[in-house]
Amino acid sequence: MSFTSLPFLVLVLASVGVYYLLPKKGQWVALLAASMVFYCVGGGKTILYVFYTAATVYVSGRLLGHFNDLRRAAPKEERKAITAKYKPYRRGVVLAACLANFVLLYVLKYWNFTAELLQPLADHVRPGSQIPLSELILPLGISYFIFQSVGYVIDVYRDKYQPERNFAKLLLFVSFFPQMVQGPIGRFDQLSPQLLAGRSVNFTDLKYGIQLMMWGYFKKMVIADRAAVLVNTVLDDPWSHSGSVIAVGVLFYCIQLYGDFSGGIDIARGVARMFGIDLAENFRRPIFSTSLTDFWRRWHITLGAWMRDYLFYPLSLSKPFAKLGKFTRKHVKGKLGKILPTSLATFIVYFVIGIWHGANWRYVAFGFWNGGIITLSLLLAPQFLVWKEKLHINDKSLGWHLFQVARTNILVFFGRYITRAPRFLTAVWMVKETFLHPNLPDLWNGTLLTLGLTQWDFAVVIVGVVILLATEWYQEKQGPIRPMLETKPPLVQWLATMVLPLVLLFCFGVLRADYIPEGFIYQQF
Amino acid sequence: MNSKRWLLGFLATVVALGAAVLGFNWLVDPFGIFSHKALEWPSYEMTLNPRTAKITYLKDHHQEYDSYILGCSSVSSFPVETLNEYLDANFYNMIVYGADMLDVEQQATYLIENYEVKNLVVNVYIDNAKDYNVESDPRSYAMPPETTGESALTFYPRYLFMDPRHSLDKLRYMAQDTYLTQPFDVFDEANGAYDKKVRDAEPIGNMEEYLEAYPVFADYPDLSNQTNEAAITGTLESLSRIKALCETHGIRLIVLTAPVYADYLDSFPWDQVADFYTRLAEVTDYWDFSYSSVSFEPRYFYDESHFRECVGNMALARIFGDNSVYIPEDFGVYVTAENAADHVAQMASAEPLPLEEYTDQVPVLMYHHIDPQADDNTTITPETFEAQIAALAEAGYTAIFPDDLAAYVREGKELPEKPVVITFDDGYLSNYEYAWPILEKYGMVATIFVIGSTVGDTDHYKDTDYPITPHFSYAQAKEMVDSGVISIQSHTYDMHQWGPYEDTDQPRENLLPLEGESEADYRAALSADCETIRREIQTGTGEEAVHVMAFPGGYYDTLSLVTLLENGFDISFSTEVGTNTLVKGMDQSLLALDRYNMNESVSVEEMLSYLA
Repeated sequence: MSFTSLPFLVLVLASVGVYYLLPKKGQWVALLAASMVFYCVGGGKTILYVFYTAATVYVSGRLLGHFNDLRRAAPKEERKAITAKYKPYRRGVVLAACLANFVLLYVLKYWNFTAELLQPLADHVRPGSQIPLSELILPLGISYFIFQSVGYVIDVYRDKYQPERNFAKLLLFVSFFPQMVQGPIGRFDQLSPQLLAGRSVNFTDLKYGIQLMMWGYFKKMVIADRAAVLVNTVLDDPWSHSGSVIAVGVLFYCIQLYGDFSGGIDIARGVARMFGIDLAENFRRPIFSTSLTDFWRRWHITLGAWMRDYLFYPLSLSKPFAKLGKFTRKHVKGKLGKILPTSLATFIVYFVIGIWHGANWRYVAFGFWNGGIITLSLLLAPQFLVWKEKLHINDKSLGWHLFQVARTNILVFFGRYITRAPRFLTAVWMVKETFLHPNLPDLWNGTLLTLGLTQWDFAVVIVGVVILLATEWYQEKQGPIRPMLETKPPLVQWLATMVLPLVLLFCFGVLRADYIPEGFIYQQF
Repeated sequence: MNSKRWLLGFLATVVALGAAVLGFNWLVDPFGIFSHKALEWPSYEMTLNPRTAKITYLKDHHQEYDSYILGCSSVSSFPVETLNEYLDANFYNMIVYGADMLDVEQQATYLIENYEVKNLVVNVYIDNAKDYNVESDPRSYAMPPETTGESALTFYPRYLFMDPRHSLDKLRYMAQDTYLTQPFDVFDEANGAYDKKVRDAEPIGNMEEYLEAYPVFADYPDLSNQTNEAAITGTLESLSRIKALCETHGIRLIVLTAPVYADYLDSFPWDQVADFYTRLAEVTDYWDFSYSSVSFEPRYFYDESHFRECVGNMALARIFGDNSVYIPEDFGVYVTAENAADHVAQMASAEPLPLEEYTDQVPVLMYHHIDPQADDNTTITPETFEAQIAALAEAGYTAIFPDDLAAYVREGKELPEKPVVITFDDGYLSNYEYAWPILEKYGMVATIFVIGSTVGDTDHYKDTDYPITPHFSYAQAKEMVDSGVISIQSHTYDMHQWGPYEDTDQPRENLLPLEGESEADYRAALSADCETIRREIQTGTGEEAVHVMAFPGGYYDTLSLVTLLENGFDISFSTEVGTNTLVKGMDQSLLALDRYNMNESVSVEEMLSYLA
């Protein structure tokens, strides 16, 4: 069930209505029911995977909670002994829960990729043998709900909070429908209490929810879906286009990706807001990032945070890494020896982030690209300081800041070549074409108008991006926009927050760019 | 604004916007489903979806009709006028593109249950053996709920909630509408058929030119079609239900199988085709026109899947035994369960007719003024003229009238072995003085195209003081007509003006519209001119039928040809040079005929070389 479909809006309206009509204690049931409907319509039978994940983390959570309780209940002097006694069980349970989910994710999402990789090897070992491929359908949002659920188990393992005792309530946490498809990846201690809380109708929540949804729809339908037409034309078949057109295609892909992803998140957050629930922030104006690390702190924030909490820290604090640290400090001179283990952990994290996106060499390369650059800049940081000193660069100057932003965006831009190319090697070829055969006149000789978008569509995309950037700039520099708007006269508010957004959404979003007029079938008469 | 007020305002704005879109789609109604009169444009609506728009149209107009033609788009070429004449009925053509037999059954049931129906003509096409109950576009191919029983709750919202650009397009096209058929309104709402006025006004002659204009015939795509058992069963069952319905209601049912272009039918395995046509006869008797010599003649087809109206007329003439119309011998067989097997076996051996059996070459000579002092390329001395006519007679040519061409084309009446058409433009007195006696002397006939407004002007151009080459009078014309040697026809009444002598900035020097003239004004002017010249010639000379036009200056365009045809001028001559190919059964081969310009400088040998 797509966010941009009518049934989704109907589901949202209906569930908001039912939610506030129910007694406060039972309101969460409306959310669960809506989530089940949403998933069944969108994912059909694959809802069983959601139940599977919920069940594994429920059982393991309860077990871990039980161990935690035992430890807590023990007299202080015995606590250490008890902790030691149960440590292997606790570890076993959390490992089993992680495996139960990540193996599933692996089989569903990554097995075929691995199988194809291993096929030549299999041929070599036993000619003619065929590694079986998975024909299972990838369940909707699996990468999100599995990460969110595993985070819960690990937190319980860490005794951050008590496990959920009611399976249905945990199921709601795993499957809450606004965030099912695109995230954000929530944390149990922040999300679940909000999901289960009872509320009276709050008009401000409804208003802000609707406004956030409209903003999301604007980014998704007006900007992203329109840009997508050009992106698909150019990048599905890059071989038919010159280097400069490919670059425009990638630029539009950046616009599409940001509009679509952040728009989807805003819709999700808007819907949640209508129930009085605040979902985690997932984007913080990544266009203003000053470095790739900064970018990943602003782009898909909840994924980065998840990786930080559940991969980076455990990894860098693990025994092998401690040993590695000792080893490098001993054998590698200077600062480098100190930061080498951290750099390795960083590299692994970004590499995993790359793979998280999908099972394909492109994403492996994307992992290398981000991990490589970030690790390299970590390693070279001392050197950079020296250079900056020598060049008398003022860290605080606007020029330097702009340079950093531009540099980051260029790195992101070339990273997008990798993720959107049909194949990894094509991405390399596309970058080469961009530099070696740009054929610049294509940018103004009308070629761009043959890519599926009219000049009006270009105007809409450009104006849309300008509105988006201006808004984000205001938010970055001045703060939230809505309180500012609320000080304006009612007529201005009415125009700016209702008529204009609705008309824009309708004319340039609902009425899609790929409108096909009725074909006149018999032209020959 | 507090949040509550904001929410109410938002709700109101959403509702208002939604209502505006809904209202707009309802009002403009591009698919013609809401049965209201505002912004009504049936031919456009039928083009978008004939299934819905025709039923809507009939809700208001069914009293005008008592008989219906049903089927896919090829059925459009059975002219309702011809059927009306043969059956003394008022037919409406229900053709919808891509009709399968389920559509036809639903339409038939709806019509029979709701309106008075005397006759039903149902066409079966080879595609009915391939497709039945096809899943297709839910808006432009949807049948109206009255015929399918679909719930109005699912049907109407598809049109109310559609992209309003569909409605905007209708308004946009309204502004672009013209009298001539355009891709956005291909139907003639009054009879339900495709509006073929443009294609039927298309001068057609030799095969090479036709194939060049419509390359699909020469370069036919390589299709490999298959019939489909489910489709055949569905089609035959629907057909037998239609038959039963007609029997119950006492309705005359004519089932026919329309001509199919040979390459298309050949794209099916022959045993499948034979099977279908044989099984069809088990359900009902039918007239089979699908595969005969006609199927092999591209000029009989508008395109690879639509035969021309002239072919439809031949088919109807066969059904109703009209012997006055040319019909190829192998065209049309009445198939019953008894003769089906034999017929289908014989059908396989259909082949093209030899060209000489149904086409002929006719040269036309064009003269103007005969002048002892001939000095330009339109004048000739009496001596040279006589020499040319004598040479024609000597070489065995028989001069004929345009009506003889029409008789060849329409009735299949053979032309003499060496036919030639002799024509004179403008109506000069010299034609009366020199040409008539010479022609009579050699046993030749000719046609003179007079400019009505200058008939009888011997001294002055119309009512001016400008001098004029003398033109003969109607009295003189009548003498010539009475002699049987001369036919007087039209060079327009007053659309061949001599600009410098006219008291206007925009003289009408030829048939074409004036600059900036509206389509309606132009058509009115040309129609009035046609009426005047016909009346004047008929009263002045007693000429029976005035229906032949020589284009002043040779100029014409599609609109002028269409308008002339509507005014009964169905034979016309241009000034293009060449010999004409006439095709039996094809009225279009009588349009804009080529002529050789004759003058003093054309030697006898040269002339004979044209004609050879």
